[in-house]
Amino acid sequence: MAQRAVWLISHEPGTPLCGTVRFSRRYPTVEKRARVFNGTSYVPIPEDGPFLKALLFELRLLDDNKDFVESRDSCSHINKTSVYGLVIGGGELWPVVAFLKNNMIYACVPLVEQTLSPHPPLISISGISQSFELLFGIQDFLFLGQKNDTELNTKLNQLPDLFLQACPFGTLLDANLQNSLDSINFASVPHPQKQPAWRVGTYKGKPQVSISITEKVKSMQYDKQDIADTWQVVGAVTCKCDLEGNMPNVTISLSLPTNGSPLQDILVHPCVTSLDSAILTSSSIDTMDDSAFSGPYKFPFTPPLESFNLCYYTSQVPVPPILGFYQMKEEEIQVKITVNLKLHESVKNNFEFCEAHIPFYNRGPITHVECKVSFGQLEVFREKSLLVWIIGQKFPKSMEISLSGTVTFGAKSQEKQPFDEICIGGTAYLKLHFRILDYTLTGCYADQHSVQVFASGKPKISTHRKLISSDYYIWNSKAPAPVTYGSLLL
Amino acid sequence: MSSRHAPGAGGPAPRGPLVARSGVAPETSRLYLGGRGCGTMGPPSRETWAQRLGAFRASPSAFMAGPEGEDLGRDLLIELRSEKLSEQTKVSLLALSLEYPAQLWPDAAAAEAAATSLLDTLVLLPPRPSALRRPLLLAATTVLAAGDALGPTSGASRRLLPLLLGLASGRDLGRGFGPASEQRPLQATACECLRELESCKPGLLGDCLGLLRRLLGQEGPVQPLSLLLALALRNALVIRAKAKAGLQGLLVAGDAPTPGGPWNWALAEEGGAHPQPQAPSWPAAEDEECGLAVLEPSPEEARELRAAVAQLLDSSYLLTPVAQAQLLWLLGWALRGLRGQPPVLFKPQLVRLLGTAQLALLHAVLALKAAFGEALFTAQDEALLLRRLTLAAQHPALPLPAHLFYLHCLLSFPENCPLGPAGEEAAPLLLGPRLGRSLLPSLLHDPMALLARLHLLCLLCAEDEEEEKGQGWSPQRYLGELLAGLRQRADLDGGPRALAALCFQASYLVVRCLATQPLVLTPLTHGLAELYRARPALAPHFVDLLDRVGPELGEPLRAVLRQEVVSRAGRDEALRWHLKILAKVADGNAPSATLGFLRAAAAHCTDWGLQQALLRVCRTLMRAGVREGLADLLQALARQLDDPDGRDHARLYYILLAHLAGPKLGVALGPSLAAPALTSSLVAENQGFAAVLMVQEAPAPIRLSVGPRRAAGPGPVLQLQVEVLEPVFSLELRFRVQGQLYAPLDAVHVPCLRPGRPCSPLLLPLQPRLPAPTQLSVRALYATPAGLTCHAHLPPVPVNFEDLFLPFPQAPDDGDKQGFFEELWDSCLPKGAESRLWCPLGPQGLEALVSRHLEPFVVVAQPPTSYHVAIRLPPDSRLLLRLEAAQAGGVPVALRTDHWAVLPLAGDYLRGLSATG
Repeated sequence: MAQRAVWLISHEPGTPLCGTVRFSRRYPTVEKRARVFNGTSYVPIPEDGPFLKALLFELRLLDDNKDFVESRDSCSHINKTSVYGLVIGGGELWPVVAFLKNNMIYACVPLVEQTLSPHPPLISISGISQSFELLFGIQDFLFLGQKNDTELNTKLNQLPDLFLQACPFGTLLDANLQNSLDSINFASVPHPQKQPAWRVGTYKGKPQVSISITEKVKSMQYDKQDIADTWQVVGAVTCKCDLEGNMPNVTISLSLPTNGSPLQDILVHPCVTSLDSAILTSSSIDTMDDSAFSGPYKFPFTPPLESFNLCYYTSQVPVPPILGFYQMKEEEIQVKITVNLKLHESVKNNFEFCEAHIPFYNRGPITHVECKVSFGQLEVFREKSLLVWIIGQKFPKSMEISLSGTVTFGAKSQEKQPFDEICIGGTAYLKLHFRILDYTLTGCYADQHSVQVFASGKPKISTHRKLISSDYYIWNSKAPAPVTYGSLLL
Repeated sequence: MSSRHAPGAGGPAPRGPLVARSGVAPETSRLYLGGRGCGTMGPPSRETWAQRLGAFRASPSAFMAGPEGEDLGRDLLIELRSEKLSEQTKVSLLALSLEYPAQLWPDAAAAEAAATSLLDTLVLLPPRPSALRRPLLLAATTVLAAGDALGPTSGASRRLLPLLLGLASGRDLGRGFGPASEQRPLQATACECLRELESCKPGLLGDCLGLLRRLLGQEGPVQPLSLLLALALRNALVIRAKAKAGLQGLLVAGDAPTPGGPWNWALAEEGGAHPQPQAPSWPAAEDEECGLAVLEPSPEEARELRAAVAQLLDSSYLLTPVAQAQLLWLLGWALRGLRGQPPVLFKPQLVRLLGTAQLALLHAVLALKAAFGEALFTAQDEALLLRRLTLAAQHPALPLPAHLFYLHCLLSFPENCPLGPAGEEAAPLLLGPRLGRSLLPSLLHDPMALLARLHLLCLLCAEDEEEEKGQGWSPQRYLGELLAGLRQRADLDGGPRALAALCFQASYLVVRCLATQPLVLTPLTHGLAELYRARPALAPHFVDLLDRVGPELGEPLRAVLRQEVVSRAGRDEALRWHLKILAKVADGNAPSATLGFLRAAAAHCTDWGLQQALLRVCRTLMRAGVREGLADLLQALARQLDDPDGRDHARLYYILLAHLAGPKLGVALGPSLAAPALTSSLVAENQGFAAVLMVQEAPAPIRLSVGPRRAAGPGPVLQLQVEVLEPVFSLELRFRVQGQLYAPLDAVHVPCLRPGRPCSPLLLPLQPRLPAPTQLSVRALYATPAGLTCHAHLPPVPVNFEDLFLPFPQAPDDGDKQGFFEELWDSCLPKGAESRLWCPLGPQGLEALVSRHLEPFVVVAQPPTSYHVAIRLPPDSRLLLRLEAAQAGGVPVALRTDHWAVLPLAGDYLRGLSATG
């Protein structure tokens, strides 16, 4: 369950080493156990320099990865998880849990309490999930609400102290590092008994509960006979409960209007104390019966002090909010494009913004654009080979808008122009970006009156909703497009 | 043992203790401050320390090897007491001792001294709030545990343990331990320290279970106490079970060690001082189950145990998710197989846990599933768990690494009734096609997710083999489209290497799972051939793939690639890739097309690299046994190539081809072990097959021994027996006489020898120049079954004095033997020598001795008492013996020889006779 070592490495392509170790921590008492448990398969934790080099090589983050290198590129070198074996000093350091996010590589090596050869299955190693929790925790701490590099550096400098608190001996005590930071600050406050370890300190002040529902809608539209369009709503309910008392109890109910789309695939925060089995079984993959559970969805919990994600859900709404097609035909050095978008009548026609991005990959730079839009305006970003159609706050009364014209390209020079591994030949897409405030596609809402709070004082309850687009693609219907198995089953 | 890191353990005479003692658990302080570093140079400032720590962290080994390394550990301990350094700097010093104790204090004595010093520093802290107490406790714990110093004989351990337990139980330790506000965090820290010590030395807290339970029930901090109790409980159960002892009231034993009282090490010592796996991996844990069954707790003990576990589980909601997971792993495996402990205790937690998105919690549920199986999870529960896992493996709200881990968990799912072989990834039975299809790959996935889902798709295809033929989109067809998409991406000109690697990894995965499905393999083969046609620069990937796949894909792919290459004109830009592929796929099939391609290509092989590539193909053809046409090509290359190295190479190949028979050629051209040299490939390759073609030194598989003597013929002949350990062909044994005593010996030849098959003795005629014994050094030259020619030195073969003995041929058959002997006897003098000696006889008597050793040489015999022996010694000497009037213990021997140098040899020989029996 313990970690032998943790690293934080910034990925810096173009520099000699391609990266810098920004933080590392080793656990000698765990290392001592590793030596006993691993026996002859034991490989010691290397120093930062060799580790950095081996990890960047394995993750293909070194600059010179042009040539075929068998130990990395061989067809039998198959990695299906974020767990790697690094060849260091003749031995294989395994399991190294690592991933890259926001140009930062998070890595650690969990203790495996047995011999490493052959590798035991990852599922049977308790330290693996603890590794992930630790790394996700660091990632959240560094990047949630982080605005600039100075702030990042400040947080990086806090890590040694935080690790003394959250992971003093390699066994993780709390993946929420912000919590550990608070507990350092709260250390002088006397703790009452039976207080959750994840609720450090107490709140003093006006009681209030804030609930926001954010739905993201994604879609893949093909405009083809044999391929079905797909779309899905992913919701997140974020809460901040400022309530006095050691363990205030709160119950939040999410409701749907009569024609609302049922919530599925619900994942809850660990502070939720109990769950209706209907919530647990409502699934988008394999609905157990036809009568889908349509709420209300009750979540009783004791809130942590900080803002947290009470639950996530998905939903299958009957129609996509914007349905469209995109036709692109190549004619020598120019392409002819036609786009049509239609907002569904049931959707609130009041956007914070709405844009369609039309990128052109694997081509030369845009030299000339001749396009007509029925509504909104078109901007051309030549250096990015990108057209942006700014639709604005509202669709016109007809709810339908279109764009057509030709785009001409110059000669292709590989380095400068955007490369994409999907958009080969005629394969192309346009991507919609939009946001609608005070609206959810499923209709899901948290009724202020249904929020029950068992704590002193009557709290002020505020609720917020918004819908935003995410991965909303409309593929060129005149060429092949990447499909999922689901869209083939008509 | 080095003493330099242990200030108190050696060095100059101590100047007396500098540390005043106070506070908890008094113990003689062992830290003496002396030597260099503190007085003379002045204390390093904060900046100096920052630099020093920076340099150390950059490379601890380099720093410790440098001039400053020696003093770092000692300086650090001293500086912790310095009043000039800020607390923050001291915390960073302590951080170093938390991470690198083994480097700073490399042996147990140094660690003990360092821990003592840290404890002294702790008790010396002024009673005001300080940021140093926690890190000092952590550091002392780390140094003791990591430095192998923890134990009943360690003074620091005897101080630290009661201190920690006192803090953990919230006892008032007096003002010395800081203000009351610090007590709570210190209590938690002390619990963590104890947990770490218990992890390193299981059983350490075996005596404190009752105390910990009470503390947990009262006001103690829930999380640290829960985890500590769970670990101590688990370790105690395992140790007691291993010792085949009962629980013996362990759970209620309430009285913890009294302050200042002795610590009870009994259980820790029972545990053998080896760390116990806290959450053993599943297959490894199977044995332990049986282990715990021997505990057989009494009903009362079982009730207590259940109460303790229920107490821990009930408050588990108050723990952070990662700590809850740790608790479940610990308790799950602690109770597995223990009688009277129903796993149903865990049931109330499960629904709550299944609802979360927390990776550690879902993983812990899977661990419980693996531990208890059907006893905790009915088939319905199992199905629900699978659905949640499937959902989590693709939930858009979760990050990619979590998806990948859940996908792994699905393929390694601990099923109630597993069907397939254990340890192999497989789709669980209850996953079903609907759930499975939601996890199929698409080109839009990240490479790792794509491979993981592709594996699942392959498993589904393997199950589906018979079903769904004729339908629109069978999984097989989808798989085919997906692979085609991956090939299209790999084909992207200038695309990253990773895309190509992904395409080949996917192809390899498919072949491994679906090797028996021609429906999948045939389009794959042709798709790959097309990919090669479009982008020959991927040749290294093709070669790698061919190296790793079985014949199902390998054979057809070789054929289509060969066809693909040889059907081209030889002057392609991608010629070097074509040659690389041909070197892999060329064989005895349709050699004329291959040779035609090579002939055409030769004209365009203008640089050294291309010529080498061309020659490598020739080499492959030679190995494949192609001769016709190849000799002409090589001859042409030997004239035509620009580069002298290439020409030499071609000529060498030609010579090899012309002179070596097929099998030998195959061996000679086998994979070369020599690393390629940059200057001349010929040199590099020579190292490989020159070794094959030339004679190699080898340990001899041959044993030579000297057989029975043959005292006949014109000269002495050695009879050699040969045995071999492995088949040996064309054996040639070469002998050399040490010194010039004998004429040079001819070699002996044996065509074939096999182990266990006796061979007729080899006769080695000797031509001594003097009648003296000697040694023959022997070398063997032979061919192995693999066609190698080897050379070996064999142990020397001794030629003994008696091996030279020959009878006198002219001795009359029946005439005057006595006269003949006397004539010889007389003729020895005066130029010869005479001697008398006593030849001891064994129990067998003279007659037996003579018949065994001297029979062929006896001229006159009067058994059993008198024998006259005449021996001819080549080249032209004689030795005459009169053995007369034998007695019980021996026989007097008169001997004469015409060569004085023979006398001592004869004496030795005769005296040795009785010994040889």
